[in-house]
Amino acid sequence: MQSAGDDLISISVADTRHAQALASRLRLSGDWIEAVAGIDSVVVRFDIARVDRTDAEHRLREASSNIQVGSGQDLAVVEIPIVYGGDFGPDLPSVCEKLGLSKEQFVALHTGEYTVDMLGFIPGFAYIGGLDERLTIGRLAEPRQHVPAGSIGIAGGRTGIYSLPGPGGWPLIGRTSRKLFDPTLDEPFTLAAGATVVFTAVNKL
Amino acid sequence: MALANRLVGNSSFVPALETTLTGVVLSFRSKTSVAVTGASASCTLNGAAVQQHTTIAVRQDDVLAVGAAEKGVRSYVAFAGGLQADEVLGSASTYLTAGFGGHSGRALALGDELFLRGAGTEFTPQATPAEFRLPMLDSWTLRAGYSSETSNVLNPERLFETRFTIANRSDRMGIKLEGATYSTNSDGNMASVPVFPGTVQCPEDGSLFVMSVDAGTTGGYPRVAKITRMDLHLLGQLRPGNSLTLIERNDEDATRELRGKHAYWQVWLPDIAEVI
Repeated sequence: MQSAGDDLISISVADTRHAQALASRLRLSGDWIEAVAGIDSVVVRFDIARVDRTDAEHRLREASSNIQVGSGQDLAVVEIPIVYGGDFGPDLPSVCEKLGLSKEQFVALHTGEYTVDMLGFIPGFAYIGGLDERLTIGRLAEPRQHVPAGSIGIAGGRTGIYSLPGPGGWPLIGRTSRKLFDPTLDEPFTLAAGATVVFTAVNKL
Repeated sequence: MALANRLVGNSSFVPALETTLTGVVLSFRSKTSVAVTGASASCTLNGAAVQQHTTIAVRQDDVLAVGAAEKGVRSYVAFAGGLQADEVLGSASTYLTAGFGGHSGRALALGDELFLRGAGTEFTPQATPAEFRLPMLDSWTLRAGYSSETSNVLNPERLFETRFTIANRSDRMGIKLEGATYSTNSDGNMASVPVFPGTVQCPEDGSLFVMSVDAGTTGGYPRVAKITRMDLHLLGQLRPGNSLTLIERNDEDATRELRGKHAYWQVWLPDIAEVI
């Protein structure tokens, strides 16, 4: 447990599923202004106008014991058709060069079935783990100012799908026409933590 | 926004209008009261100068013009009773990125019609006392503390010794700082972590980004500082070209000073603890 700022406490957890389970437990408790899950940590924001840090830390430690993780078995399988490279994946050539792969090898390694780790960043942005180790690459040194919606990036052993346009720091390798967020729907998110996605290669959006 | 609402008898979070750099011209179809706060801008009613930070009575067919921001970035126009707006997830704010909230999820355009919620409650026209008018500056100082990956930065104390310049690359999501770069020991593969308005991230090129009101919820660049809660409400007024200095506050001092700030403001805004 450590401070992440004057009104923030970060707590490390075993993995993404524990982070999701702890964050939802903390949200349900009503004790926190916000509880946000990362990949392997949860950060709470608490009301420093009324609550002392030592009390908040004590409460967080108590709430963090015996976290039960769900199985996520009943979630739908969602196909994500991807156009790899070209204008839609402007970083694919440099990514392939750094990884020592041809485009065909990259696509063969990237297509397939994965599990969604979590949603975060912007509404609908999906963090999808389980990439082949040969596809591990870091974030861009300088984040792009404009990433189009549907862009697919990879970083730190994960695939990320940019659900909305905006800035972004992941090298972009392709784009999908699949919409991940629609605020007009009762259930605005196409994906959820634990859902299965299948990446397939297509020639046009 | 709370300060503008205060002048027209509204509670702090009633929907109001936010302008960004450019102003706005409003024609009124009915009588009401309005107030303009935030970025300094010259305002006129039917061509005659009117003051910011005061209640302005308007009649049917009056035209209120709020000029471009002279200092600061965002002006707030509040209306007695408040504006009707689309509420999503408990907020009437416009989230431009996803196109929801506010007025059809978009910035206002010429010819748009806005409606008031109602006549509002009885109130006395007034002016914000001088000590409660937020000064709009060219050079800002915000209090900040260390965050989780501050130790990834070589010489973190330099964060508090630098005069930064606000970059053009600044919006409601984040504000880029220029003027110094930092070396971090991150390789770009960090597992994504929660971020909040006020979190300062440092990508591998060593520049700093301050997350603002429309911050993402997670990010993967090291979190090297956090603007303290008590000064977050000023982020929206940092204008490209302005200078910014961060001054260091540990968590304990940041808490004590926030409580002091609340006590000071309570006289004018009784719900200040909800506002900042």
